[in-house]
Amino acid sequence: MNFKMDMRTLDHGLPIIDLEGEVDVYTAPQLKQQVISVLESGAKELIVDLTKVDYLDSTALGVLIGGLKRMREADGNVTLVCPSPRIKRVFEITGLDKIFDIYNTQEDAQEAIGKENI
Amino acid sequence: MPNSVCPTCVELTIPCVPEFVGVARLAILGVASRMKFSYDEVEDVRLAVGEACTTSVEWAQRNAKEGSTITLRSEIDSEKLTVDIFDNAGARNTDPTGADAEQEPENLGALLITLLVDEVTVESSDGGTHVRMVKYAGQR
Repeated sequence: MNFKMDMRTLDHGLPIIDLEGEVDVYTAPQLKQQVISVLESGAKELIVDLTKVDYLDSTALGVLIGGLKRMREADGNVTLVCPSPRIKRVFEITGLDKIFDIYNTQEDAQEAIGKENI
Repeated sequence: MPNSVCPTCVELTIPCVPEFVGVARLAILGVASRMKFSYDEVEDVRLAVGEACTTSVEWAQRNAKEGSTITLRSEIDSEKLTVDIFDNAGARNTDPTGADAEQEPENLGALLITLLVDEVTVESSDGGTHVRMVKYAGQR
């Protein structure tokens, strides 16, 4: 299965999950575990980068929604990076583009998070 | 279910487990590519079939139906692609009062299917479920 996930933390403590390939019913549980570990670390912000994702289904959406809900309960947020029109369309047709903050680049996402936290 | 007389039909049976849903998506991608679909329409079919198979897998897990299967059957003609998805994953007894029901991935999956194909019907019995979806060419 074509799926890869990398977790890293920027110098100022912002966690970023980079995803690649297909995020579906088979691979989404790995994403869920990673999101849970970020939540348990006490982080207030999380960036999930979908730039290299070429397939994303409702299971993945469910994980992201769950993460967003728990983050927002703690006055935090999950920010998405998604330049691909095909993947972005999944968020648009489900109306989730109104719920998530979605940016085209990691730089834009980081800048937006930085401004919100000033 | 097997149909040897249909000249434009493709059938595939896969184990009803998460790791094989991608195989069903790959197969329908090949079939849909033979239609006069736009790139987006082919992707719509791939996602809709993936969602239907995912729902079957989730019910197989919920019903502890080990060894169950999904049979995907597609038929193309000049105007439309018809995809039938049969599973033997048991009954789909939902609890409409469940908390956050609207946010369950399964409900998101059903929403996606409705939005991505032109017609969808679901027939469920104690033994399993048959989902039929139809996508017409040249709709978008």
